[in-house]
Amino acid sequence: MGSGQIDRRTFMKVSSGVGVLAAGLAPAVTAEAKAARALDETPYPVKWYPFTGHPDSDTCWSLSVGPDGRIYAAACAESVPGGVVKPVRYNEQRDDLDYLFNLAEKVDDPGDSGRASQCKIHYSFAPSMHDGVLYMATHLSGPPIDLPVYSPWYSWHDAKRCFRGSALLAFDTRTDHVLWWDTLIPKEGCRCLLHDEERGLLYAMSYPRDHFIIYDLKTRKRRDIGRIGSINPQALFLDKQHRVWTSSDYGRLVRYTPETDRLEISPGLLAHDPNYQTGWHSVFYDVAPSPDGECVYASTWCPNPRLMRIWLNQGEWPRVEDLGPATQPRDLSFPIDMYRDHCGGLTFGGDGKLYYVASRWRDAKYNPTPESRKQNEGVVWCLDPQTLKREEVARLEHPTGMAHYVSRGAVDHNGDLFFGHVGNHPSGIFKVSMPADRKRKNAHLPIRMWG
Amino acid sequence: MTSMQTKPKFDPNSPEIKAYLNEIAHQFVREGTMVAFPTCLPGMTTPIPLDESRITALDINSEGHVYGGTSGRQAHLFGAAFHGLTGIVLDAGVVPGCTSTAAICCGASRTIAFVNGPQGGRAVAVPHIRLAEDWIQEWGLAPPVLQELGDCVPGEPVVHAVAVPSRNTVVGVTTHHLFTVDVEAGRITVVGEAPGRGQLAIGRAAVFGQDEGTQLWRFDVASGHIRRAAVHLPDGEWTGPLRWARDPNRGLLFTADAAGRLFSFDENKFRLLGKAHLAPVGPMAVTPDGRLFGFCGAEMANLFCCDTVSGSVTNLGVAASILEQRRYGYQFGDAVTGRDGEIVFGEDDNGGHLWLYFPKITSVRG
Repeated sequence: MGSGQIDRRTFMKVSSGVGVLAAGLAPAVTAEAKAARALDETPYPVKWYPFTGHPDSDTCWSLSVGPDGRIYAAACAESVPGGVVKPVRYNEQRDDLDYLFNLAEKVDDPGDSGRASQCKIHYSFAPSMHDGVLYMATHLSGPPIDLPVYSPWYSWHDAKRCFRGSALLAFDTRTDHVLWWDTLIPKEGCRCLLHDEERGLLYAMSYPRDHFIIYDLKTRKRRDIGRIGSINPQALFLDKQHRVWTSSDYGRLVRYTPETDRLEISPGLLAHDPNYQTGWHSVFYDVAPSPDGECVYASTWCPNPRLMRIWLNQGEWPRVEDLGPATQPRDLSFPIDMYRDHCGGLTFGGDGKLYYVASRWRDAKYNPTPESRKQNEGVVWCLDPQTLKREEVARLEHPTGMAHYVSRGAVDHNGDLFFGHVGNHPSGIFKVSMPADRKRKNAHLPIRMWG
Repeated sequence: MTSMQTKPKFDPNSPEIKAYLNEIAHQFVREGTMVAFPTCLPGMTTPIPLDESRITALDINSEGHVYGGTSGRQAHLFGAAFHGLTGIVLDAGVVPGCTSTAAICCGASRTIAFVNGPQGGRAVAVPHIRLAEDWIQEWGLAPPVLQELGDCVPGEPVVHAVAVPSRNTVVGVTTHHLFTVDVEAGRITVVGEAPGRGQLAIGRAAVFGQDEGTQLWRFDVASGHIRRAAVHLPDGEWTGPLRWARDPNRGLLFTADAAGRLFSFDENKFRLLGKAHLAPVGPMAVTPDGRLFGFCGAEMANLFCCDTVSGSVTNLGVAASILEQRRYGYQFGDAVTGRDGEIVFGEDDNGGHLWLYFPKITSVRG
């Protein structure tokens, strides 16, 4: 919505849109301008690192801290026919990115195979602490080299075109070698990955069929536990009892219990706006573990993404604490673009605070920022788990492009924040340098075991 | 490591690419409308649990109410109605110790379900469920009580069963024996030996089942006589279990071989119609205008329509529902023709739904 526009239905109810602006929203502009000035003096400098070494890249869906405390990201190329993903790592000595390898070549599935390509890693980095391995699994969507688009439904039965399957790689961060690879899920992509290191199991969600997959690292055998629904949850997470959690289409918790080998659905709903939503599509987007392991913080993949805190070890089913909307009010009569209204990049800093990035956009009625500001902004928020107060600490800045759609975030061993970003070409990552008093050594520990 | 921008190796304006894009744009439910209905009274009761809701058996009674059974961790039996003021799938309960439903048969007075567990196959009677209530405003219904009728053939799982046209008798088959059930009395009678493989087909006066090799056995309902190797299947690949659909208006049966070739069968001769674009062929049902609809392909099935006069087969794409529930449909276990010619498919998947398919209306001018 441009700055001259207002809520569609409101516009029809009043005689003039200009009148609405004049009536009460002008002071908000002044407040925003003050806030913008304050942010210019932020102690959280932001730097953009484009994937110039992989100019085809158009998205960065995965960014995680590795078992070595360094930041890994996926330079994905999904809109380019035959595009391939290249994992990158932030090199703190050079303050730049190292391009690790062409993943398609490593798994003998090159971009010119004629099949849907090994184009991306989607929330599917998972560390292994005892041996320094970073597991990664690929996802689908990139078209074959000679076709403009790819549909996994359309090409499911086409041996020539169908995606070969999600490739699972074991990358040794100590030697920078791929130790081995396997096909994690034939014909399907891996939406998200989790490592239960104590039990030597990887868990994954398949796309498009939305099946829950278990991969035994010792036997390298896969088990398909079955379908959950239609809307892929974007995260899996683990509790102290080795139970694996995700969400259903209807905004309920889904729990896998190894002892019963069952997927079960919670009676209660995840956080959503009860004024106009039912819980449908309130699937997890991003989930960050609290350092004490007692709860997780999550955002939903849904318009008006909601923040919540989930106490996993309380009661038969966890207690879900609604922390409210992550983004601004808006016109509810129109289905907003999910690439505009978004929240991701949840990660705990070395200071014990939760950091995340929520989008903010100019809206004539709800957020009438001046034209000098960007239409869409990525705001870095800091949430205090004790008080639940949140503070805007930085705005992500891209020199020319967008900075509002953050996929994942992580803190490196130095305590600095990194965010993967989607929407620019080439894509890239942001670094937010943390103030000295908010950093600590090995701030990435205890490490998050899922993508 | 630097790589050059990858150049697309196609002409975006070529007829082939435009045709491909058009195919992609129409990959879901190319004709008609699909409605995925959950196994509950939506918004009022909870659906059958995720891993107990693979719908593997359906039948329809004379009121147009659908009865079904699930497979999974436990087998559930249910009744469903989608007309008037209904709109409900009512879970009639779990059959203890059973993990699959092989068949469900609507009799004149009640429904008989055939469920399997580690001990073999059993018959269970489901009472007539009074579903024709006002499920919009006010309702009241006592939970139905399932009645165990016992093992069909001790130690043998039931493969399939069908109700004969009078709906007083059900004919079923286990892996090795044919049996009948008196619907009203609940009495099970083992008739004799016959192999059970795939579905049974109900003809005008006989029941057909897959025999050894490429033959069918025929069971004469009136005389109670089994004739082995009574019918030879036509040339085809008859390696898989058979599925059947019936057109009651024309008295024709329809089946498919393992390669997806579709055949009609008038109880004497087979006629090759056409071939589904994927195999194996799954559940099928016939609309009152004679069109045969079914699913084909493993893992991610496609809906097809066969014009049973011309034999032409049309790919109608992957199932998707945008009404009632938003859901993709990948695997289906059974199908029946509904009261008004719609087709009800049972989804054989976790979180299975009943999928009502309303075919595209065809021109009266043909």
